[in-house]
Amino acid sequence: MRILLVEDEKKVADIVERGLKAERFAVDVCHDGRSGYELASAFDYDLLILDLMLPEMDGTEILTRVRKKNQEVPVLILTARDAMADKVKNFESGADDYLTKPFAFAELLVRVKALLRRGPVNRGNVLRVSDLEIDRITQQVRRGGKKIDLTAKEYALLEYLATHPGRVFSRSMIIEHVWDQSFQGLTNIVDVYVRHLRSKLDDPYPVKLLRTVRGSGYTLEEAEA
Amino acid sequence: MNVGSIRFRLVVWYAGCLTLIFMILCALLFLNLRQFLERDLQLAELRRAHQVVNTLLARVPRISEDAVGPQVKDWYEPELNNRFIRILRANGTVIYESGPPQSGSFVPAQVPLPKNNGQTEFSEKLKVGNDKTLLIAGLYFPNKRNATYIIEFGELLDPVETMLDHVFLQLTLAFPLAIFIITAGGYWLVSRALRPVEQITSAAEQITQHNLGERLPVSQTGDELERLSLSLNHMITRLDDAFQQTNRFLADASHELRTPLTILCGELEELTNDARLDPKQRERTFSLMSEALRLSKIVEQLLMLSRLDAGEAIVEWRQFDLAELVRSTAEQMNLLAEDKNISIRGNASEAVLIEGDRSRLKQVLVNLLDNAIKYTPAKGSITWAVRRSDNRAVLEIADTGIGIPAEALPHIFERFYRVDKARSDGESIGLGLAIAKSILTAHGGEVEAESTPGKGTCFRIRLPILKPALPLAVKTAT
Repeated sequence: MRILLVEDEKKVADIVERGLKAERFAVDVCHDGRSGYELASAFDYDLLILDLMLPEMDGTEILTRVRKKNQEVPVLILTARDAMADKVKNFESGADDYLTKPFAFAELLVRVKALLRRGPVNRGNVLRVSDLEIDRITQQVRRGGKKIDLTAKEYALLEYLATHPGRVFSRSMIIEHVWDQSFQGLTNIVDVYVRHLRSKLDDPYPVKLLRTVRGSGYTLEEAEA
Repeated sequence: MNVGSIRFRLVVWYAGCLTLIFMILCALLFLNLRQFLERDLQLAELRRAHQVVNTLLARVPRISEDAVGPQVKDWYEPELNNRFIRILRANGTVIYESGPPQSGSFVPAQVPLPKNNGQTEFSEKLKVGNDKTLLIAGLYFPNKRNATYIIEFGELLDPVETMLDHVFLQLTLAFPLAIFIITAGGYWLVSRALRPVEQITSAAEQITQHNLGERLPVSQTGDELERLSLSLNHMITRLDDAFQQTNRFLADASHELRTPLTILCGELEELTNDARLDPKQRERTFSLMSEALRLSKIVEQLLMLSRLDAGEAIVEWRQFDLAELVRSTAEQMNLLAEDKNISIRGNASEAVLIEGDRSRLKQVLVNLLDNAIKYTPAKGSITWAVRRSDNRAVLEIADTGIGIPAEALPHIFERFYRVDKARSDGESIGLGLAIAKSILTAHGGEVEAESTPGKGTCFRIRLPILKPALPLAVKTAT
């Protein structure tokens, strides 16, 4: 997996580069917009991480140009600006995710992995993880054939986690998807819901599916055989 | 009426001064008139005396002294005309004295003889009878034969008094009318002059921190008020600049702080994962990191506040039902409350349409509900209610929590204010309610809190309503 990081702040770039390399990613780093764009167009990257405020060519510009040639490569925007209008503009230009500085590296890592493994989203009507079955049309959840009653929020949380079994979702990501921006910062709400979900989903069964990843978030994982 | 107002004071002073001037003028007019009329009468009498001297007495002894009396009586008919005429010799011998007047207002014989003070002409006023005054004027006439005659003519001042009374009455009647006209006119004039001041005042009252872009109306009259509004506008411009500078500074500062914070957090995060650290070092690194995260949170919220102050944070503006928003938000937070065994209940009898940034207002609700859950002990309850009142949408969120001490209550919406300063758990920064208030202010709303320590707190939010209550859609027949 090869990642291009365009970030003019050298220390920030260093931290991200070190962190990603420790996770065994191949990382190319450059510190200005023009060479960033040149690298992005010369090589086939699996992911671009762009800072918005760059010398010579800003991140939005790179994004727009890259998107003209390559619709596929996932792009993660890093920025010190978080004005709503900015966010909307960049999503319209084709950004896949957006992270505001200061961010925790663990959060960045979770999002990077999510983008790299994005692959085909499971759009089927029925999601299956191990013996868990989620019917997206009737919103019914069964485990081992036995029906589990969930509240609307618990169901939304479970469905979100089940779209990508094995992937770690950070609390911020969960809040963004299951709740909305207004709940940002209220991360304990995720823990409370996960606990409730767990009591219905896992507690009665010997094999646990909903796993806490320390410092990162939660994942719904198929029990290893 | 406000007795301290410029208008009142100006009118009082103006009316007072004009009244005083009017009174002085009247008094002068009255006194001068009296003097002029008396003098006129006196001169007429003297003229008659001279006439008697020239036509009769100067010719004595060619005509007999005794013939003078009947001739005078014949000419002047003093009894008929209510006049007094007396001709004497210097030694006091009366040559002629008019008879009692028809009106009977005086008795000629009782009129004292004139005192010789050496002047040829004299005059005096004599009180006779009831309130009547006899004006006597006369002259000494030395005859060629060294005999001196004294001729006296007298007349009642009645006509003068009558006329003066008349004038006095008219002035007295005219006086209140004049005062009324003066006061009313003064009031009108002052009001007219002060109207621009009132306009400026009411316009200035509308201007707050949030609409410093607006300016006062300037009347292009070239007068002092134009200058006043112009200089006030200049002042608002300077205030506006200062505010914008502060906001820009706050935004720039928060912005600039983000990159170093990212580095700080990133380095610390990496360090905490370093396997070579001993437990004590690890604990310290964790503590450092949590402080760095706290710092990030403060920077984030400060930036949010500065953007709200600058009016940039409200992006979407659409109408929605406040009751529905509260209901759904409370529902989303229900589990947090249930977890602490707290119940959230609420009601809204009708839809209350408002206009604004839904997600920002939701943020306010999340903040208030989160506070309510945090500060309410287990088995407590939280109730909310949405209603209309005086064309405002009113939302109340009440809890049965620990409450807020009375001395802290006025400050809870201030930035960085914390009720319990000792318990800085790292969670609260003291900006949440300030942000909530700023969001509401940006929507033209307000928020207030009531609290009884130990019993609970109630937050009340008022927002402008979009439409007055509409009748429900026509009910179809059952």
